[in-house]
Amino acid sequence: MNETKAKVPKQLLSRSLIRFLLLLWTVLVLYPVLWTFLTSLKDNVQVMQGKPWDLPTVLRFENYGNVWSRAHFGDYFLNSIIVTAGSIALCLLLGATTAYVLARYNFKGRGVLYFVYVASMMIPTTLGLIPLFFLLSDLHLSNSLFGLILVYSVGTIGILPFAIFFLVGFYKSLPKELEEAATIDGSTYYGIFFRIMLPLSKPGLITVGIMNTLTVWNEYIMATVLINDPEKYTVPVGIAIMQAEMQYRTEWGPLFAGLAISMIPVIIIYMIYQRQITGGLTVGALKG
Amino acid sequence: MISKLKTSHIWSRRLFIISFLLPTLALFALFTVYPLIQGLYLSFFDWSGGSETMNFIGLDNYRELLADDIIPIALKNDYFLVFWKVILIMLFAVFFAVALTRLKLKEYGFYRIVFFFPNIISVVVIGVMWSFIYNPTLGFLNKFLSLFTSSPVDTNWLGSPKLAIWSLLPPSVWAGIGFYMLLIIASILAIPSTLYEAASIDGASQWRQFTTITMPLVWEQFKTSVIHIVITTLNGSFIIVKLMTEGGPDNQTQVLGYYLYQMGFKQFHLSYGATIGVLILIVSLITTLILHRVLSRETIEM
Amino acid sequence: MKKTMTGVLVLLMAMLSLAACGGNDKPNPTAAPAAPTKTNEVKATEAPSAEPKISGDFEIQYFVGGYGDGWWKEVIGEFSAMYPELNIKESAGSQINEQMKPRWIQGNPPDVVYIDGAGSNETQMVLDDQLMDITEWIKGAKNVDGEPLVDGLIAPPQDYDGKHYTIPLVFGSWGTFYDQKLFTDKGWQVPTDWDSFLAVSEQIKAAGTHPYIHTGKYPYYIVGGLLNSGFVAANGYDPQILKDQEAAKENSFNNDAVRSTLNKLVDMRDKGFFDNASFGMNHTDSQMLFLQHNDAMIPNGLWLENEMSKDVPEGFKFGFIPSVMQEAGGKYVAIPYTSNIAIAKKAKNPEAAKAFIEFIFTKQAAVRWAELTGALMNVKADLESSGASDVVKTAMNYFNGGDTIVAPVFKLSADMEQAENDATIALLQGTITPDEFIDRMEKAAAKERK
Repeated sequence: MNETKAKVPKQLLSRSLIRFLLLLWTVLVLYPVLWTFLTSLKDNVQVMQGKPWDLPTVLRFENYGNVWSRAHFGDYFLNSIIVTAGSIALCLLLGATTAYVLARYNFKGRGVLYFVYVASMMIPTTLGLIPLFFLLSDLHLSNSLFGLILVYSVGTIGILPFAIFFLVGFYKSLPKELEEAATIDGSTYYGIFFRIMLPLSKPGLITVGIMNTLTVWNEYIMATVLINDPEKYTVPVGIAIMQAEMQYRTEWGPLFAGLAISMIPVIIIYMIYQRQITGGLTVGALKG
Repeated sequence: MISKLKTSHIWSRRLFIISFLLPTLALFALFTVYPLIQGLYLSFFDWSGGSETMNFIGLDNYRELLADDIIPIALKNDYFLVFWKVILIMLFAVFFAVALTRLKLKEYGFYRIVFFFPNIISVVVIGVMWSFIYNPTLGFLNKFLSLFTSSPVDTNWLGSPKLAIWSLLPPSVWAGIGFYMLLIIASILAIPSTLYEAASIDGASQWRQFTTITMPLVWEQFKTSVIHIVITTLNGSFIIVKLMTEGGPDNQTQVLGYYLYQMGFKQFHLSYGATIGVLILIVSLITTLILHRVLSRETIEM
Repeated sequence: MKKTMTGVLVLLMAMLSLAACGGNDKPNPTAAPAAPTKTNEVKATEAPSAEPKISGDFEIQYFVGGYGDGWWKEVIGEFSAMYPELNIKESAGSQINEQMKPRWIQGNPPDVVYIDGAGSNETQMVLDDQLMDITEWIKGAKNVDGEPLVDGLIAPPQDYDGKHYTIPLVFGSWGTFYDQKLFTDKGWQVPTDWDSFLAVSEQIKAAGTHPYIHTGKYPYYIVGGLLNSGFVAANGYDPQILKDQEAAKENSFNNDAVRSTLNKLVDMRDKGFFDNASFGMNHTDSQMLFLQHNDAMIPNGLWLENEMSKDVPEGFKFGFIPSVMQEAGGKYVAIPYTSNIAIAKKAKNPEAAKAFIEFIFTKQAAVRWAELTGALMNVKADLESSGASDVVKTAMNYFNGGDTIVAPVFKLSADMEQAENDATIALLQGTITPDEFIDRMEKAAAKERK
């Protein structure tokens, strides 16, 4: 076809154009993040009067120390770690066990149960918010990090249904013969799961774990409502409070330092695990 | 011997299944299903959220909901956001996904990492950041635009009745693309390259390959993504609105999620807030079902 | 049911802390001035005789915000010295309203509560039947100096359908603020009525400065600082119109006073006197622009000087006008705001609570308050020699002077306040007309009456 000759320069042109667009988007993505870090090192005067893309005239690293101790960001950070670690651990445990059985064992009501879990992802978080209070308070778990962990792992924010949804797909993709072989070897059901299935599902667990970690680390609504003791605030709540208090004190530098601190762990985790996430998503995609 | 084994086999199997399912189910029922039902229950009462008593008022809250002038505005805004987010996010996500997978760029890995950044940042951070970007006098946007104009640009993006709701789009879209891009990338990678090779040999252009191979084969993922965007927008707009406009000016950026919060907690009508919550649930369900129907195609087995 | 209530309360508290993020009813001034000097301590007088013994447990809840907690600690310390048999517990902090909410719902409140800060609303507390009816008691109550309590107040206890549940502790006024130095330097005349206000605004605009800025995110600033006084002035200086609005009476908005005031607002809008950046802007941002002379005037409350103390430029001198919409030769109208103190209906130690109230409403305490917070306590006192800020002293002169009408304290319900806020912004942006504004408010009032 006579297209072949024209293809080469055309392709080159569109390739360059596409490259340009990709670069442009990179700037749009990175700039706000960079700008946050830059602003976190500026002092108030410069923020208010200078240009946003100026470099800080003086590097005010003390904004970080400031927000860490005086604004209690260090406490918030610790609380977030506790809550996130606890919620993910619990969610993975419950999710993996449920997903395994749903994926590999046939029993009455299997379809219904699966549907219920997946459908529950649609429940608006805010609807469940109000009654979750009734509940936590009745259980004497209001204003506690443990209560928050429970709410995150099995409550209406949906990380459990997501885990189940994803892991079912994952388990389904494993070869069927595994259980048969293991049974012949005399393994118990529990043994099969814990010694064979669980290790095999590590990639899936990592993917789900990371995605849910992002959700929980950044979760704001539940945390603000369920925790009212300032000592127990998590990072997103701390940021929102800082932003509100900002209206009285106009301390831009520390506010942005807080934003930066909030972003750093998540970025690091993502950088480390990003291969697994995409890899896991591939499997999920096949079964989606 | 064999039958005995079989019976004990059946029971140990049952026990195993139950032991693995029950704890999750119990906790799930307690923390997800029960609050849902309670929310529904609360909507039949009149409670400020502060007093020790609440009165049963039957369907009055629902009647009030239907007569509430602000609800249609909120619904309109919710769907406005849903519509544009779906279009813009999927447009960008698919474009980037295709660009990164089909063009065999060297920097693929770098882009894949970086483009996901906005998704990993907390919505709170995004809201605060973008509020500042939109600040009429101090913000990045106006200062940037002023470079090209003779007098300084001082458009009040978040305060203008006409622009405000549009101004909520860029942060939402910006923060959403990365995740869906990854999903689409993953499903494109699952397409055997032989299909593309064969098409190239046949002389099909990139665009043709895209429309005849890529799109149909990623359609499932595409559909799932669209539905996911819809659900998260209907549920999650609350945070962005709260941080950036609080529903203003004059309810021009009001959304159901924020209205629930405003009614429930700022205007002391907690039970009415619960009613709005029920509305959100119904709206989500209906929209999802409709989309599911509309977007369904035969899944192409490879 | 009770347990459920607790749960929801906890929820409510938390959400109210979200409300805190969103915007408080009365943003409190930030900096509390320097360390208290011990010169004018309130002397511990003898406990009034023929009273039941003040003893047992006593708990007081107070919000700590811009006013700080220096004054509280001082008076509570002295109160304790006066009644050594009393076991006093203080529940205080910036999030205290949220933290204490569950106790209120459970029916286990503290004895005395200072109602201020994010998440607090005294009208709601009255509606929720949480406060003690003090109508009869307050009539005869005397402070520890032997003076009738009510006589010494600037603003009387709020009237809820003839009953009293709260006593205003902090008093202040809304008004229009400006920089005296700026006006003097530019030769601008400080407005005394509507005509002079329009005239000087034209001058200011011609000089390249925005005449008027307000915080669009919190429209109650401009409602309090500009509109309400206009309503009263247009209503023949009868502040009853505001009480009617509070009571959601029919036609409390659909009348000439409201209409003519709204038209004045439209006039300002059409003449371009408002800074367009106001919309969507929060109060500190608008105040910063005011301090930097981007804008000449701003509606605000007497906490302004303290709130912005860290950012006030050299030479800036706060000027205050209670109202600008009155006709030439007419009186000023001062729209007050108050933060109230109340006794819980279920207080366990009501005698101690009453004794505490009697203890703090004295002239000396008022002077100490002014010195420690820079703001005004709701007690008539001679502040000239005190450490109150200049603008506060200026305001006091207006209140004490003959040609200022001080309106009674009033507060719209949350729903009506929201409706008025929305309508004001819409009017200022030209998306609705004054008639539509009135229409909306009448609808909101009708709903309130149901």
